[in-house]
Amino acid sequence: MQRKFLFSTPLLMATLLLALVAPVWGIDGNELLRQVDAKMQPASYEMYRKLINVEPDGSKKEFVLYTVKKGQEKMVALFVSPASEKGRATLRLGDNMWLYIPNVGKPLRITSLQSVVGGVFNNSDILRLDYSVEYTAESVEDKGDSYLLELKAKSGAVAYDRLMMVVDKKTTLPTTIECYAVSGMLIKTLHYSKIKDFGDGMVRPSVLETDSPLYKGYKSVMLFAKMQQREFDDEVFTLNYMSKVDALR
Amino acid sequence: MHYAKPLSITLLSLLAFVLAGFGAGYASDQEFTFELEEIEKKSLEWEGYAELRWEHMDINQGSAFSLLNLADDPQSDFDRLVGALQLGGSYSQELYSLQWLLKAAGQQDTLGWSDTADIYTAYATFKPKASTSLSLGKKSYKWGKGYAWNPVGFINRRKDPNNPDEALEGYITAEADFIKSNIGVVQTAALTTVLLPVYDHINDDFGTVNEMNLAAKLYLLLYDTDIDLLLRTGGSRATAYGLDFSRNLLANFEIHGELAWTENQSRLTLGQDGSLQATAEDALAFLIGMRYLSSQNITSIIEYYHNGGGYSQQEMETFYRFALDAGDDLQLAAGSKLLEQARSASLKGYGRAQPGRNYLYARFNQKEPFDILYFTPAITTIINLEDSSYSLTPELLYTGFTNWEIRLRFSWLSGAGFTEYGEKQNSNKLELRLRYFF
Repeated sequence: MQRKFLFSTPLLMATLLLALVAPVWGIDGNELLRQVDAKMQPASYEMYRKLINVEPDGSKKEFVLYTVKKGQEKMVALFVSPASEKGRATLRLGDNMWLYIPNVGKPLRITSLQSVVGGVFNNSDILRLDYSVEYTAESVEDKGDSYLLELKAKSGAVAYDRLMMVVDKKTTLPTTIECYAVSGMLIKTLHYSKIKDFGDGMVRPSVLETDSPLYKGYKSVMLFAKMQQREFDDEVFTLNYMSKVDALR
Repeated sequence: MHYAKPLSITLLSLLAFVLAGFGAGYASDQEFTFELEEIEKKSLEWEGYAELRWEHMDINQGSAFSLLNLADDPQSDFDRLVGALQLGGSYSQELYSLQWLLKAAGQQDTLGWSDTADIYTAYATFKPKASTSLSLGKKSYKWGKGYAWNPVGFINRRKDPNNPDEALEGYITAEADFIKSNIGVVQTAALTTVLLPVYDHINDDFGTVNEMNLAAKLYLLLYDTDIDLLLRTGGSRATAYGLDFSRNLLANFEIHGELAWTENQSRLTLGQDGSLQATAEDALAFLIGMRYLSSQNITSIIEYYHNGGGYSQQEMETFYRFALDAGDDLQLAAGSKLLEQARSASLKGYGRAQPGRNYLYARFNQKEPFDILYFTPAITTIINLEDSSYSLTPELLYTGFTNWEIRLRFSWLSGAGFTEYGEKQNSNKLELRLRYFF
């Protein structure tokens, strides 16, 4: 008995210590991430987004995009306005991304790091796939009303190497996401807000605000509308179809 | 120049008008709205832009092309004010759609007024399903992966490497497009076939008339690489075969290339007596290029272009000498005839953009340096690798005012005598371009 007690004391202390600082046992970070994705969007859907870049002096520039997505790695976004961008389309197939500009008349390969619209949002934000497709959960911490997920990019093609995602326990929806570069530098912070019922059981944030220490005083906002489940042919997600995406609206 | 002052006043007036309208993009409150009418789709849609462009050029007096173009009215400099309107639109109904693009431009320059109006595209499309579409009408093609040049652009109009993003006039064609996804390791396959007739008043600038031509492009997305296999055959132009590819080696590093083989490509060369001699031989053309995005947000595009059907340095020198001799002899009786011969040679090949065999294109642009949103400075160079002459073009682009684009550009041409950029009409060009999109 004596021997058993001696062995269990340090074990008990270690367990108590781990319970205070370490990941929550019994919660699978990757499963939690999949739940977040399922709450944020259907597997295949269409939606409209408005991107607003706000400068420190209050001036703003707006872009409206029509977006369709199928499965885990197919997505296309079409600029509906302003007139100077209308008809531009971006396509993502896994790690491959292309940009189609009507005057140029052919798709060009682009990277997730570039910004089609300028400002804080880059292509990765506009053509973001499910979080669980792009990231692996390395740890999860219980923060009381929320979980803190630490996510690591699965490939170098993703714009942010690491994410720190705060997930609300009640809704299983993200509230804040910090995006870090490989160097560890904070690139931007995303804030989700204004939870809205989009229909078909889709209840999720309708506003995403972004700020960045790299763009002090600047802010970018993304508003979501008319998100609904819809099935598409695979051929919609091809270079030849990029000039015809508007026909889906 | 007597035109300079009115042009400057016009330009300043325009700038004042434009700047007066820029206040509209400001918002005092931070409440954002997204109204459903903003995303309502209409059957009939119009779009386009209005452009005003002012150019000032210093003439490279005594150069071959200044003699060819300005022998009748020599100038030391040249001003041009251009107004242009590009109007596009579409009408869609279920499986059918009509699309069109019209362009009109008028210009007042040192020598006088001129204007143009063209239908760039106008075609109908029938799309029974996502994988199939058929179209008929005037349509523009931009085949190839190259940014500045496209040796596999077998039915493309020739683009201007200084403005490669501009819309180009199409040809009247009948087209069928089929797409198939997920065929084994092939992520996507797409076949585009085009019938291009050439008859009197139908595509008669494409080549020999009274001929039907076929062009085809098979696109494959294979192991994350874009690959096109291309073909053009028919009686209007020589049969040509092509291959192109594009692939990201890293997320921020892309490579691309094109290879074209043309059977019995005809070419006209200038003899010592000024006569043009036609010959035909197989020609190989290729392009290899890369695009790289640095951590400083600088995009670099570099391309090497070899055109086996182009003119050798010696052939170009023969042309320049002939044109200069024609200019020198202009006062003599035979001068104007020689000048006409030289002008004819220029129109039939020697005067086209980049007529030589080996070129290097490099463009570097940085998006939003110094935290200036929507501001993109860039510098572009085109080097003729055989005669070492070149153009160097720095530019500033600002797109911060919704639907406005402002571009200031200066081009400097440099080269010794009897070289491509040493014999151009201008030694430099300053250009200010304003565009309003609607």
